[in-house]
Amino acid sequence: MAEKHINARGLQCPGPIVQIFKEAQACAVGDILCIEVTDQGFKKDIAAWCKKTKNELLSLEEEGGVIKAKIKKC
Amino acid sequence: MKSEKVLIIGGVAAGTKAAAKAKRENPDLKIVILTRDRHVSYAGCGLPYYLGDVIKEEKELLVRRPKDFLIDYDIEVITEMEALKIIPEEKTVVVKSLSTGDIKNFEYDKLVLAAGASPFIPPVEGKGLGNIVTVRTVTEATAIKNLINEQGIREAVVVGGGMIGLEVAENLLLRGIGTTVVELASHILPPYDADVALYVQKYLGEKGIKILTGTAIKAFEDNGQGNVGAVITGAGTLAADLVVLAVGVRPNVDLARECGIALGTTGAIAVDESMKTNIEDIYAAGDCAENMNLITGKPVWYPMGSTANKTGRVAAINFAGTAHKDTMKGVLGTSVLKLFELNVGKTGLSERDARTLGYDVETVLVPAQDRAHYYPGSHMIVTKLIVDRKTHLVLGGQIYGEGVVDKPVDILVTAITFGSTVEQLAKLDLAYAPPFSMAMSSTIVAAHVMINKLQGRFSGVSPLALKEKMEAGAVLVDVRTKDEYFIRSIPGSINIPLRHVVDRAGELDRNREIIINCKVGLRSYMASLKLKGLGFEKVSILEGGLIAYPLETK
Repeated sequence: MAEKHINARGLQCPGPIVQIFKEAQACAVGDILCIEVTDQGFKKDIAAWCKKTKNELLSLEEEGGVIKAKIKKC
Repeated sequence: MKSEKVLIIGGVAAGTKAAAKAKRENPDLKIVILTRDRHVSYAGCGLPYYLGDVIKEEKELLVRRPKDFLIDYDIEVITEMEALKIIPEEKTVVVKSLSTGDIKNFEYDKLVLAAGASPFIPPVEGKGLGNIVTVRTVTEATAIKNLINEQGIREAVVVGGGMIGLEVAENLLLRGIGTTVVELASHILPPYDADVALYVQKYLGEKGIKILTGTAIKAFEDNGQGNVGAVITGAGTLAADLVVLAVGVRPNVDLARECGIALGTTGAIAVDESMKTNIEDIYAAGDCAENMNLITGKPVWYPMGSTANKTGRVAAINFAGTAHKDTMKGVLGTSVLKLFELNVGKTGLSERDARTLGYDVETVLVPAQDRAHYYPGSHMIVTKLIVDRKTHLVLGGQIYGEGVVDKPVDILVTAITFGSTVEQLAKLDLAYAPPFSMAMSSTIVAAHVMINKLQGRFSGVSPLALKEKMEAGAVLVDVRTKDEYFIRSIPGSINIPLRHVVDRAGELDRNREIIINCKVGLRSYMASLKLKGLGFEKVSILEGGLIAYPLETK
């Protein structure tokens, strides 16, 4: 299964979420998406996105102001 | 210089500040501080964090011990002493020792009342039960901390949703205690405007604090062992093994009133700019004294540690007997607090205050980053700016978000103090580098939005007015991308992304009011300009966008 890394640092609304939508569409079920974002609003957005799209949020961490999310396409 | 006798009643912020400053001004003064408590010079504002274990030990809160004052400053501190009576004609204060019961007279040349304020205890049945507490002194806080550590408190009710109540609620929740805040007013943080307070309320709800507003406390119920077991409110009964009363404080003025010292309209001791009362050689400072609002020129009472220190210092300079004099012109009602990761601050008049006072008020609600958006750690903050339409003077501001809010609050404090218009505010040469600010700081962005609004470039709808407008037939158009809209949106809105606003304008009814929303407001503004260009007349934008939206989304 593939693991894809996305650098969405520096992107503001709607950047990071648009990226996730695009990349998730191109992924196969079971693939892992890792995204790094500096927009703090992303924390809420990604949790809501996973819930609504029924993808799995494996982890959501913040390190030095950068948010790192790991998502499994379901 | 004269070696006069100075007697200070009260030993927390104003009293100890006055004593230390006076001694630096005039080392010949003989200064005695009398206090009811066992502690002096403690960090009263730090007590909530002590409960939450952010501050581990009592000693961390004690700035100076009584004996330090004698050793370091030659100031005598006598603890556990209660002043019973002031006799101005004899320049004497009658004092009772709380440990021995002995009565003693103290003479003074100058007297300073720095007696502080006491928590208001609502006159409700069962208020004397065990585990019903207030958080005003270190002694009280230590007792509560012991209770939490030893009795395994599970459910707490905090009565009062002001700053202290909310700080205490945060810290109780952090200790793993289920916490409910009960507030009588229609929203928490009563001095703030409803749109701001409701945002904070929603945030605290998401963190796990239950909040009941518009709710009165009816009685406290005994758990059968003399301690509180439940709180009966207007909205039902809440189980509780700890109740914290934080419904506000009242100035300690009995001593002053009984000897003829005049109180002001607020009920606190009336003082002039030099902190003198109406009786010769008697000063008042800190929480027991009244303040002046710098904007309205009317007496107000904002009991704040920051003001207490300043007024104590001003009093000291004036009674120390040197050629120097100082004055305290007034305050703005500035406050700031942290609740979990959310920071909230205000200064000046609220929108509600300003309207009540008859100002022709304009407001904006503007989200912006607290530093460069690409710099790690940047956060969104929302600025509510309040100005006078006639003069364009800045009247007040409220700022909230997970980013830095104290800086923009302090910028507004400075602007208001020096009589700045919103146009002057927009041109301030504020410090900028990516880790500190945006190139256009959030305050300047808010000022620009205000200027645009004052010049009629857009009309705004408050999030709290949205529901009524929609019920009256207005259409809410969300101009974010469909992906953003999919994640979160305001119930009842339709989605036409900004880039399609022109080609899909035909879908909109020109006769109905169109309210546009986006995430922060910028895309709404651009969409409103496009629609106006197409001849739409009734177009407005949702102030603050989804970022500042304080109600439920889907």
